[in-house]
Amino acid sequence: MKTDDIREKVRAFILDEILPGERPENLLDDMPLRTSGLIDSMGTIRMTSYLESTFGISIAAHETGVENFETVDSICQFVAAKMAS
Amino acid sequence: MSNSTPSERLATIEAEIRAFAEAHLVDPPCVGGGDEVFWREGWNRCAAEGIIAGPLPAEWGGRDQGLLATIVSMETLGTTCPDLGLLFSINAHLWACSIPILSFGTDEQKRRWLPGLADGSSIGGHGATEPNAGSDIFSMTSTAVRDGDEWVLDGHKNFVANGPVADVFVVYATTDPGLGELGVTAFIVERDRPGLVVSKPLEKVGLRSSPTGTITMNDCRIPVGNMLGSEGGGSACFNCSMEWERGSILAMHIGSMERQLKDAIAHVRSRRQFNRAIGSFQSVANRIVDMKVRIDAARPLVRRIGELKDSGRNAMLESAVAKLFVSEAAVASGLDAMQVHGARGYLSENRVDVELRDALGARIYSGTNDLQRVMIARLLGLPSSLVGGD
Repeated sequence: MKTDDIREKVRAFILDEILPGERPENLLDDMPLRTSGLIDSMGTIRMTSYLESTFGISIAAHETGVENFETVDSICQFVAAKMAS
Repeated sequence: MSNSTPSERLATIEAEIRAFAEAHLVDPPCVGGGDEVFWREGWNRCAAEGIIAGPLPAEWGGRDQGLLATIVSMETLGTTCPDLGLLFSINAHLWACSIPILSFGTDEQKRRWLPGLADGSSIGGHGATEPNAGSDIFSMTSTAVRDGDEWVLDGHKNFVANGPVADVFVVYATTDPGLGELGVTAFIVERDRPGLVVSKPLEKVGLRSSPTGTITMNDCRIPVGNMLGSEGGGSACFNCSMEWERGSILAMHIGSMERQLKDAIAHVRSRRQFNRAIGSFQSVANRIVDMKVRIDAARPLVRRIGELKDSGRNAMLESAVAKLFVSEAAVASGLDAMQVHGARGYLSENRVDVELRDALGARIYSGTNDLQRVMIARLLGLPSSLVGGD
């Protein structure tokens, strides 16, 4: 899967499920999501389930921290690395 | 064994655990008498059988048997061992101490603590809840301040499972109160650290042989190497711990419900009123039927968590669903059991009340059932009512 496809799906999930009603142009790919409070730990768990089922990857608990889930960019890089491994 | 199917393997484990429990766990020193204490000998027997090592990797002293097999083991123990407090202590040790260290620990931390936790020579405890941080757990006020090569912990933890007997605790504290849940960090604290004060056991309604206490940290200094996971990563560690715990700890209650059903059937077949066995009366039979239906509905909810975790998948939603359903089922069946036993069930000497009192705790521990409903709603994508507040 191409990086753009991953990005499209991740953005769609955030806009549909985490920030419903938000305009897509307001979701910047480098915007802080966890430290800004836009996504809390429950939101991260939902995202984890979505990423596992959508991309066929397995995400360990210790991988669900801010370092991988802070921005759209970091989430996409994490997913791409997981799919490549 | 190596050529056996997964279901054959589980059947073998179940048979082995049943034989062990029937030989070594059927006669705890005190259950339901009001003077229950932690059954250390029972703990040691379970440890010698490898039960406490079950889900941990062989590399760290475990048995590599996976979560599903551990759930089946706990279920089987619940059918045979009347001391659910002992089983609760084993579960708390596994899911709230061993698993967080396995999941978030460095190799050095795993090497240092997991072998002792796996062989049962070291008992694990868990300090998260505080007087003003229960369901709202990440509002905790215990603090951790870095001072050179040490972390300095201060605060008070309530309802610490295994607290009075634990040798090592996984404790949560905030390293930055301004960050909310992103300031919460996990630490490993040994019992003998100066500044750590452990209380005597608290008196509980049920699960009385599982010692629950409080811990107070007063200028408690631990090496920086005792931080578990990353600074601010405590919420992920806590959620991981609760995912495993909620998904697995109810297995013992399913076993207990099986035992309860067997006793209830025996009673309604032998007890006669109006010249017939009371089991022939539909109102009595319906209670027995409901008890059976609850068991059969509960078992797959718990076992699927084992299957999910064994395949490396997230099971937070499924764990909350199982916790909610099985704990309510255990209470409902406890009430039904007492009702079919009539006045004899209401006498403490017959111990029907013990399983009911144990089950009541299941609606509260590992997050109240009210909180489980909130979590399930959130995980289904419903809007949160927990943002903001007054």
